[in-house]
Amino acid sequence: MSDNQTSSAGDVHSSSKHSLSEEHVLENDVEQTAEQATDQKTHFGFKQVEKEKKASLVANVFDSVAAKYDVMNDLMSMGVHRLWKRFTIDCSGVRAGNKVLDIAGGTGDLTAKFSRLVGPTGRVTLADINLSMLQVGRDKLRDRGLVSNIDYVQADAEALPFPDNHFDVVTMAFGLRNVTEKQNALNSIYRVLKPGGRLLVLEFSKPTSEQLSKLYDMYSFHLLPKMGQLVANDAESYQYLAESIRMHPDQDTLKGMFEEAGFEQCDYQNLTGGIVALHRGYKF
Amino acid sequence: MPASALFAATLEASINKLLALDSDSKARLNALDGSRMTAFLSPIPFGITLVFSDKVDVLIEHGDFEEVKAQLGAKDCCIKTSLDTLPALKETSQLTRLIQQKALYLEGELNVAQQASSLFKDLDIDVEELIAIRTNDVFAHQSMKTVKAIHEKSMSMFANMGDVFGNALVEEKKLAAHKLAVMHFSDEVSALRDSTERLDARLRDLEERLK
Repeated sequence: MSDNQTSSAGDVHSSSKHSLSEEHVLENDVEQTAEQATDQKTHFGFKQVEKEKKASLVANVFDSVAAKYDVMNDLMSMGVHRLWKRFTIDCSGVRAGNKVLDIAGGTGDLTAKFSRLVGPTGRVTLADINLSMLQVGRDKLRDRGLVSNIDYVQADAEALPFPDNHFDVVTMAFGLRNVTEKQNALNSIYRVLKPGGRLLVLEFSKPTSEQLSKLYDMYSFHLLPKMGQLVANDAESYQYLAESIRMHPDQDTLKGMFEEAGFEQCDYQNLTGGIVALHRGYKF
Repeated sequence: MPASALFAATLEASINKLLALDSDSKARLNALDGSRMTAFLSPIPFGITLVFSDKVDVLIEHGDFEEVKAQLGAKDCCIKTSLDTLPALKETSQLTRLIQQKALYLEGELNVAQQASSLFKDLDIDVEELIAIRTNDVFAHQSMKTVKAIHEKSMSMFANMGDVFGNALVEEKKLAAHKLAVMHFSDEVSALRDSTERLDARLRDLEERLK
């Protein structure tokens, strides 16, 4: 009896043990599924979307704004984006004969300048994942007579279709925040850079002053979509722009990501009170 | 906002606008195609690089003279001087003298510096023609005539003022009293003041006694 009891108690014990481990496994499964679900998702502005869908959603945004992209850039930044880009070029150290990759080059603002700086012995590759933007950029540069040393490539920054150690300088202006896996993009850029080459990432960042941050929030969440509606007839894309800026890593986080990719002597410079930051890293 | 970028943008736009106004500048610019010149002009805190192609691109150089010197290409040149010395660079014959005086440091291709100098020095802009295109010939001619007259008048006025100041310094100085004479005169004035005060005191004393 006692044996039975013991046995029965043992059974009960073992059964409860069994059910506990089952629960634990179940909990683990749920957690893993939740984690996997989170892993499968990424942000698109403030929304959470499937990772595979982000690229096409971003593509839709840029298809929609491509034609008015330059006008809207001038309007939104009051022309200051040209100075940010100019500063990026000043920091690039590009010389005649260099090979330059302008990722997410859009309408070719940086490429136009690089094309003249590298001269006939150099080469500039304008890469963008979005065909509409690439077409607008190509037409603009051809209209300016810049044809001899520019290549146009539709490419995903996360898997750049170029050989290892190929470029002297890689730039990415206002493109990184739209990439689904930013770390993959930085790793891919590191691969295609020559030893001694440098990466420059110009991107919206976190304002350094609290007051400026509030003012900037007010501007980007209230005024920007209205301007988008008025000029480009598309408020949603500019709402996404404002949201994607807030979701983008801040200055120090991005610097850490540079270092994780293998870049050395990484630094950043805040422009216009940190609204934009220029990150720089070298491959040695 | 980087002020240096704004400076570079303004300078670049101005240079290219000026060059576009002189059709002959194209040939001079072609001679410089593919070359670049960096200038460190104290007290400007950064270097200015001019990259020559079918237009002039202006870049801001954040490194110093030595860093740029180390990276010079075959068609590059780098100069270091001050803004005050800049007008003297118009005369290429002055270059050697300035280098010897250590008022100018020049590295790289000397031809690039000379050609860049002549690119700007030989600018010949027909302002009257430019105004005539936008208005009409009569208005352009009259405007230019007025501007020239004002310019000549102000120049002769400045020249006259220079003469007046020159005369004042050279001629009037001769007539001015010597320092010792002025000191002697001051001493005499002081002695006279003392005598007057003594006389005044004696008169007051006499008045008191008569009362």
